Amino acid sequence: MSTHGGTPLLAARELYKSYGRAEALRGASVELAEGEILALTGASGSGKSTLLHCLAGIVRPDDGAVVYDRRRVDRMSEDERSLLRRTEFGVVFQFAQLIPELTVLDNVSLPLLLAGASRPDAHAKAGEWLERFGALGQVTARPGQLSGGQAQRVALARALATGARIVFADEPTGALDSLAAEQTMTALVHAARETGTAVVLVTHDAQVAAYADREVQLRDGKVVGAPGFAPVSASASVSASASASASEEERA
Amino acid sequence: MTASTMAPAATRPAANTRRSWRTDLRIAWMLQSGSDRREWWRLGLTALCAGLATGLAVTAITLMAYVEPSSGLDGGISGSLLAGQGTRRGIAMTLLGLLVPVIALLGQSSRIGAVHRDRRLAVLRLTGATPRQVRRIMALEAGLAALLGSAAASVLCVAVLAGRGYLPEPAALAALAVVPVGIPVLTSLAGVFALRRVVASPLGTLRRVKPEQDWGTRLLIAAGGVLVVGALIAVVVAGNNPGTLLLPIGAFALVLLVGAGAVLASGAFAKLAGRRLATSARPAVLIAAGRLAQDPWAAARTHASVLATGVVGVGAVGIWRIVHDGVVNADYYTPGDEDFYDNGFALFGVAVLVALGFSLFALAIGTAESLVTRRRSLAAQAAAGVPYKVLARSVLLETALPLAPAVALSGIGGFAIYAYYHSLMAGYQETGISLPVLLPLLVPFAVYGACLLAVAATLPLLRRTVHPGELRYE
Amino acid sequence: MSTRHIVLGLLAAGPSHGYDLKRRHDERFPQARPLAYGQVYTTLQRLVRDGLAEVDGTDADGGPERTRYRATDKGSVELAQWLGEITPPAPFVTNEIFAKVVVATLVAASGESADPAAYLREQRAAHMARMRELTALKTAPGTDLATVLSADYALNHLDADLRWMNTTAGRLAALTEEINTA
Repeated sequence: MSTHGGTPLLAARELYKSYGRAEALRGASVELAEGEILALTGASGSGKSTLLHCLAGIVRPDDGAVVYDRRRVDRMSEDERSLLRRTEFGVVFQFAQLIPELTVLDNVSLPLLLAGASRPDAHAKAGEWLERFGALGQVTARPGQLSGGQAQRVALARALATGARIVFADEPTGALDSLAAEQTMTALVHAARETGTAVVLVTHDAQVAAYADREVQLRDGKVVGAPGFAPVSASASVSASASASASEEERA
Repeated sequence: MTASTMAPAATRPAANTRRSWRTDLRIAWMLQSGSDRREWWRLGLTALCAGLATGLAVTAITLMAYVEPSSGLDGGISGSLLAGQGTRRGIAMTLLGLLVPVIALLGQSSRIGAVHRDRRLAVLRLTGATPRQVRRIMALEAGLAALLGSAAASVLCVAVLAGRGYLPEPAALAALAVVPVGIPVLTSLAGVFALRRVVASPLGTLRRVKPEQDWGTRLLIAAGGVLVVGALIAVVVAGNNPGTLLLPIGAFALVLLVGAGAVLASGAFAKLAGRRLATSARPAVLIAAGRLAQDPWAAARTHASVLATGVVGVGAVGIWRIVHDGVVNADYYTPGDEDFYDNGFALFGVAVLVALGFSLFALAIGTAESLVTRRRSLAAQAAAGVPYKVLARSVLLETALPLAPAVALSGIGGFAIYAYYHSLMAGYQETGISLPVLLPLLVPFAVYGACLLAVAATLPLLRRTVHPGELRYE
Repeated sequence: MSTRHIVLGLLAAGPSHGYDLKRRHDERFPQARPLAYGQVYTTLQRLVRDGLAEVDGTDADGGPERTRYRATDKGSVELAQWLGEITPPAPFVTNEIFAKVVVATLVAASGESADPAAYLREQRAAHMARMRELTALKTAPGTDLATVLSADYALNHLDADLRWMNTTAGRLAALTEEINTA
């Protein structure tokens, strides 16, 4: 469960979040190391997306702390969190995240323009990133003309174009077939490794989670296997699970 | 990284502000230049409404400020009405009254493409735009369109006035300078207000938490609107004749009060109908009930200006009948007087019809927009075997159900206005004037029918929407 | 899985000797269990016995003498038949994980020490670790297509196991109850 030692880049401690009567998070904790690719997995409704939203500063948790680079994300103002998203965080969703009115190039330029870059500068940088994701041929296209896989690669280019230190991806391959998913994930992982960008990846698909360095599984708003997590079976025997995990460590 | 991005904002706030305005303008323009027909529709309508509002306000102010020269205005068809100061003031007030449906239409046009725009704003927030930035971008968009319409209308007004060789008074000039700027500013503010919830979350449509009822804000806005329009009328009336201040303001307040009551009734009834009819065995009623229960205030919003127009219409027809009877019965009036009053009321009637037209247009836009917004769900229902007829009937019911009690209330409100007037007149005259009932009370039925027709006019859109092919598009 | 048909298939490219067949097998099936040389030899013997292959000649370029084999016409027909044959879709459910979960539930129900939930959790972690390995292998730059195909195959099967384990973890309570009441 622990990261590779040292202070984590991003950490969530004991997060609670409810939407009306529905409790999405019930004391979830997770840590992300610099440059690490982390997969958050779990069934639908397990709270994995809410955890990502809290980590990325999109949603404020009801209780608990989100610490990024020694700063409390959960205590930041709306403006500070916006600043974070256009400078140090990048966000990618399953779909409907590109603005249909803008060309691919303008879509990728958007966070740069919001950060105050001039249009030529923004376009130059956006072009570089689109090339990196093999989407340079579509710069003048509108999102409606792209395939699902192409659109996701453009969204990834946009998330990374600001020089983000963490990319948050919520089911980035959820609407894609397996080949397009593979291309998208490979592009993301390679770009992240080259730039040292950390990635938080929410997915229910084990094959997508396998692109990550580490997996954190959620169930009922809590991390599976964490100290506060109650196992399903009440007749759990200490000796049996201890021996099982011992043999597990030998194998790994 | 952190230090380098934070530092410029802290040390050079002025340059940063200037730059961010430029950035916002550029993004607003980028969004607009690539947008589809629906967006242009919205902006065109915004510009048109702003132009109309400017024209109405400018004309009203000019009429008010007009000081009688030795000879009267050269006459048009209503030269005799423009000649007297009292009737001129009446016309000016009518024009100001027309502002209400025009502003309602302006508000309605901001809803065109709303769902689509919500998503776009969420993306902006997601990529790091602050709430203020998003609001500024949207305000710039709406404000610039309104400025265009306002400017065009002002130029037209000035040209017409100059063509007649008329130079406004200094006070009127000042007002004329304020209106073309004020209306775009108000439009921007209204646009920002309409988007206040959307702006709040970068998740946008992904997870929409049902907002809390903020009655405080609503009351504040209503009170503000009443104060502004009331003050406008007060200034205009007091400038001419301080003594007659009470009646028009009283009437205006009554219209607003009854209008607000009718809107509340519409919303409350929608809520009730939604709950009561939820057990209906008839599919069309069931669907309509579901929609009403989900958002009872949607109908109320669209109906507001129809209801206010209804109140005014009923009141006006009643008063016209009373005055007409009074003129005919009074022995000291000549037949020429009858024509004079009838002409005056005909003009007012035209104004009410124009207002109704605007309101119906707003209603049709609201219905069409709601159809477009849920076209996938409608197409899915059609594909699942719900007949077109049932869907069409449910769309009609959605409007017809909550509108009925509201229109009835507006009829009662209008009746109260002219009954009050009748009681005033009865004090002046010996010969009894009968209280008219039949003609004025036909007005609510006409308004109700016209509303249903306006909704029915959007049904061709429904037929196109329920085509199963719609399901294929995102 | 039929080693003789795979060997027959490798012979279709032209006459080869045993060592060459083993090398090509390991190249084509990178993630499979490597073929032992003895196994290749016995397979070739049987193919010759059944008339599906025959000795083509011997080579001895400097080293030890090696026998070259080639497929017969009968062998080609047999290969074509095998390639067109439908594999029965999982006629029996035989899997160690499945068996362990059922047995662990039985044992736990009888009061002995066993924790199927913990077992599933650990097994899941092991599966995920293996899937990460295979994914890294598959996406490394310059990986050949054969490796990608075999990694894909393994990943999809591990994924199927994982999904079954996830569903089962959710059903354990019901399973325990069923055993207790039976």
